[in-house]
Amino acid sequence: MQSSTDKTPPIQRLKLLSNLTQTPYPPLSASFNTTTSPIQWRLRSNSNCFALLRGIVFLLLFSRKTTPFDMPPRIAYSFPEEVLEHVFSFIHCDKDRGSISLVCKSWYEIERWCRRRVFVGNCYALSPPTLVTRFPKVRSIAIKGKPHFADFNLVPDGWGAYVSPWIKAMAVAYPFLQEIRLKRMVITDECLDLIAKSFKNFRVLVLTSCEGFTTHGLAAIAANCRNLRELELRESEVDDICGHWLSHFPDSYTSLVSLNISCLGNEVNLSALERLVSRCPNLQTLRLNRAVPLDRLANLLRAAPQLVELGTGTYTTEMRPEVFSNLAEAFSGCKQLKSLSGFWDVLPSYLPAVYPVCSNLTSLNLSYATIQSPDLIKLVSQCESLQRLWVLDYIEDDGLEVIAASCKDLRELRVFPSDPFGLEPNVALTEQGLVSVSEGCPKLQSVLYFCRQMSNAALHTIARNRPNMTRFRLCIIEPKAPDYLTHQPLDAGFGAIVEHCKDLRRLSLSGLLTDRVFEYIGTYGKKLEMLSVAFAGDSDLGLHHVLSGCDNLRKLEIRDCPFGDKALLANAAKLETMRSLWMSSCLVSYEACKLLGQKMPRLNVEVIDERGPPDSRPDSSPVEKLYIYRTVSGPRLDMPGYVWRMEDDSALRIS
Amino acid sequence: MFDAAMAVAKPEMKSYIWLQTVDGSIQQVEEEVAMFCPMICQEVLQTGMGSSKTYAISLPQRVNPAILGLILDYCRFHQVPGHSNKERKTFDEKFIRMDTEKLCELTSAADSLQLKPLVDLTSRALARIIEGKTPEEIRETFHLPDDLTEEEKLEPLRNITDDPRIRLLNRLYARKRKELKERKKLKDVEIEEEPKDERSVEDLLSFINGADGDIKGTRSNKNKKKNRRRKDHAKDLSSKTASENDKDLNPLPSAYCNASFDNGLEASASKHSRMQNLPGVNFSPKFEFVDGDVDDDLDPAMKEELDREVEDFARRLNSDWPERMQILSLGQDRRLVPISMNSNGSMHLYTNNSISKVSGS
Repeated sequence: MQSSTDKTPPIQRLKLLSNLTQTPYPPLSASFNTTTSPIQWRLRSNSNCFALLRGIVFLLLFSRKTTPFDMPPRIAYSFPEEVLEHVFSFIHCDKDRGSISLVCKSWYEIERWCRRRVFVGNCYALSPPTLVTRFPKVRSIAIKGKPHFADFNLVPDGWGAYVSPWIKAMAVAYPFLQEIRLKRMVITDECLDLIAKSFKNFRVLVLTSCEGFTTHGLAAIAANCRNLRELELRESEVDDICGHWLSHFPDSYTSLVSLNISCLGNEVNLSALERLVSRCPNLQTLRLNRAVPLDRLANLLRAAPQLVELGTGTYTTEMRPEVFSNLAEAFSGCKQLKSLSGFWDVLPSYLPAVYPVCSNLTSLNLSYATIQSPDLIKLVSQCESLQRLWVLDYIEDDGLEVIAASCKDLRELRVFPSDPFGLEPNVALTEQGLVSVSEGCPKLQSVLYFCRQMSNAALHTIARNRPNMTRFRLCIIEPKAPDYLTHQPLDAGFGAIVEHCKDLRRLSLSGLLTDRVFEYIGTYGKKLEMLSVAFAGDSDLGLHHVLSGCDNLRKLEIRDCPFGDKALLANAAKLETMRSLWMSSCLVSYEACKLLGQKMPRLNVEVIDERGPPDSRPDSSPVEKLYIYRTVSGPRLDMPGYVWRMEDDSALRIS
Repeated sequence: MFDAAMAVAKPEMKSYIWLQTVDGSIQQVEEEVAMFCPMICQEVLQTGMGSSKTYAISLPQRVNPAILGLILDYCRFHQVPGHSNKERKTFDEKFIRMDTEKLCELTSAADSLQLKPLVDLTSRALARIIEGKTPEEIRETFHLPDDLTEEEKLEPLRNITDDPRIRLLNRLYARKRKELKERKKLKDVEIEEEPKDERSVEDLLSFINGADGDIKGTRSNKNKKKNRRRKDHAKDLSSKTASENDKDLNPLPSAYCNASFDNGLEASASKHSRMQNLPGVNFSPKFEFVDGDVDDDLDPAMKEELDREVEDFARRLNSDWPERMQILSLGQDRRLVPISMNSNGSMHLYTNNSISKVSGS
C-alpha cells in the first residue's frame, strides 16, 4: 500500500482524487422540463461558488482516504496458490481475468500462469513475444487484425495483419496450443503448415474474413491434425486450387465436430466429403459451399442425422419428384437441426423440403436466398422458435409483419439489400418493417437493417418499443438521406434510440445527421462500445461530443465526416482508453497527426495515404485515412509504403 | 478398528472419531460424517488414529474449530445417500452464504482436507464474488496490497489522468474546447441566417459592407433582454439543484465556460425553438458544459508552461482558421452533387461487392 503523508505531492493527490471520482470527462447535468416551456438549462451559479464546493468535497474525500494510511495494513488472508488458481479456473471472461491480474503482484503471477485463453483485439496492440512471455500456458488464442472498415474495401491491400509472427512465436512457446481463431488477418500456407506440424493436440481453427492461403494449406491441416474438431472458414478468401484437400483427412480420422467450407469457390471432392461425414459421429456443424449440388445433399444428411447446424449448397436442380421426396425425408430425419444457412440459387418448389425442421430452428440465414416475399413468408412463418434471422430485403414489410406475429423469440434480425446500387427501390421494404418487428418481438436486441427511407417518428417508436436493444445498425442506402416525411435530419430519431436503449453497445448511423445527434450519443450512450459513422455531422463539435461523452467507447470508425483536428487533439487522452479510431475522408490535418504521434507515445498514429508521402503536401492538408490505436509494443515494422507512422521525433517537435 | 471398551455403551452403538484442531481442542464426530473427508478417511484407514481422545487425528493448520464445524455440517448433510440432487443444490446454495473472509477460510480448509466437492463449491462462490469487480474493489474485498507498479499496471489501459504530461495537455485542450465552442456558436449563428433571415436592413447593409464585427455586436445588443431573462431563470434552477451537482463534480476542467454563454444561449435557443415545432418529435434537452476552470491543482511552473503552450497552439490554430472554413464549406457543397458511383462503390457506406454477412461483424 502506498504510504501517504501530508507531504504528498500534488500529482499523488490528483491521482487519488481521479481514482475516487472515476469520471475524467466533463460531467453532464441534464434534467429538464421539455414539454411546453422553452428550453432552460441549469448552470452552476458562478465559478467561485463552484470552486468552494469542489474544495470542500475534495477535502472530505481526501481526508476519508488518509485514515487507513495511518493504521497498519490488514494482513491479507493467506491463501495457498493452488487454491487461488482453482478459484481463477472458474473465471473466464477476459475483463475479469484482466481485473484479477491488476489486483496485486501475487495475483498477477498466479493469474498469468493459469491463463488458458487469450483474446487479442488488435494484433498490433502488443507483440507476440510480449504475449508468450506473460502467458506461458495458453491453450486458446483469438486475434483480430484489420479494422472493421476493411470489410467495405476502405483498407488497401497489403496493409498488414499478418499472423505469421504470432504463429512462429506460439509454435515455440505453446506446444499444447489447441485453438486458433483469427479475424481479418492474413494467413499463408506456410502458417497453416506450421500450425499443422507444431501443435500436437490442435483442435480448433476458425478463420473469419481472412485471406492469403490456398487449399494446399488446408490439406496440411487435414493431413496432420489428428485431433482436429473444428475447421471453419467463414467468409474467407481462399485460393481454391484443388478440391482434393478434403481427401487428406486420413481414414482413421473421426473427430470432426464442425466443418464450414461455405466460402470455397470450387467443388470439393464429394465422395471424400461423404466418407468424411459418415465416419465422424460427433459432427454437429456442416456448412457446405455453393458447388455442392442439391441432389447430393440428401446423402450427406442421411450420413449425419445428428447435425445441429447445416449450410446447404446450391438449392436448385431440375425439379424431380423423387429428388424432392428424398430430400424431404432426409431433412425429417435430422431431429436436432437448429440452424440452417446456404440456400444459394433457390428454386422455390424445393423449399417445402425443409418445412419439417422449421419449427425447431433457432437460426436461419437466408442472406443468399433470392426468393420472393410469398415464398419467404411461407418458410419463415413456420419458424416459431427462431432467434436469429438473416434475410434479404425481399422479405419486404409484409414479411416482417408476419415475422413479428410468428417469431416471438426473435433476438437478432439482419436485413440485407438485394440491389444496393440501384437508384430506385426494387422491393417494398421500408422503415415500417422494422417498426413491426420491434413491436411484435419482445426479445429483439440486435438489428442490422438496410433500407431506403427512414423517419424520426419510426426511430422513436422503435426506441420506445425496444429499450432492451443492444446492437442497432441502420444503413439507409443513400448517404445523407433526411427523414422522408419531414425532410429534417434524423438526429432526434437516433437520439431517441440512445436515450431509451440504455444498454446499447453498438450503433451504426446513417442518413442526414448534424452535430446534434452526436450530442445525444455523448449524453446517453454511456454503455456504447462501438460506433460507426458516415457522412454525418457539421463540425468538430460532433466528434468532441462522442469522445468526451461515451465512457465505454472502444472502437470508433468514421468516414466522410467534417471532423478535423480540434476535437481529436482535445480528446487525445481518450484515445488511450479505446482500442482504435479510424477516420477516412475527414479533415484531420497531417500536422495534427504529427502532434498526436509526438505527444502520445502509447498510441500508434498511422496515416494511410496512397497519394504519396504526406511530407510532400502542406502540413495543413487533410490526410486520406487515419488509424490510431493504443499499443504497448511500439511501432509496427511491417507497414506498406502507403502507411506512415507519426513518430516521437525530436526533429519534428513543435517549440 | 475401534476399541470397544472405549466406546460409550449406547443402545445404538454409534461410532465416533476424534479430531484435534490446531488450537489444541479436541472434538468427537460421528464416524460416517468424519469419514466423508478424504484426509480423515485416509488417516483412519492407514494409521488407525482417531479412535480415542488420546489418539485424536491432528487436522491441518488451516482448519480451526469454527471452520471445522462448518465443514462437518456440510459432510453431515452430504454423506446421507438419500438426498436428491435438487436438495443438495439447495443446501449448497444456502450453505455458502457467508462473508468473504469466512468463505476464504473455508475454501482453504476444505482444500487441506481434500474435500473436493466443497472446494469446488466454495471456489465457485469466490469466483462469483470476484467477477464484475474492479481491481480496487477486489483488493478491498480480500484485503490485498496494491503493490503493482505503474508499468506493471499498464495492460490493460484505463482512463489515465495522473500522467503530468497528459494533465498538461488536458488543460491545453480545455482552452481549445472553449475556443471551439465559441467558434461553433459563431458558425451556428451564421448558418442560422440562411434559412430564416431575421436581420434588419441595417444589419444586412453593414454585413455587405464588410463590418463582420458589428454584426455580432448588434445582435447581442438586440437580444440581451431575452438572454438576461433566460440566464436569471437558469440561475433559479441552479440554486435549487446545487446539491445534485455535487455528484457530478469533476477535478478536470470541463469544456465550456460561462463567458461564451450569451452567444451560446441565443444561438442554441433559436435552434431549439424551431425543432420544437416538428410534429411528433419529442427530443431531449440541451445540456451545458461548465468550465471547472480552477487552477489550484497544478504547480505554478507547470501552469506557466501550459499557458505558453496554449498561446502557441492558439496562434497556430488561428492562422489555420480561414482555410478550415473553406474546406468545411466545400464539404457542404459536395452534398448537392448527385451521387455518382465509382467502381468500388465507395460513396455508399455499408455496401460493397459482397455485403459483409459474417456473424458478429
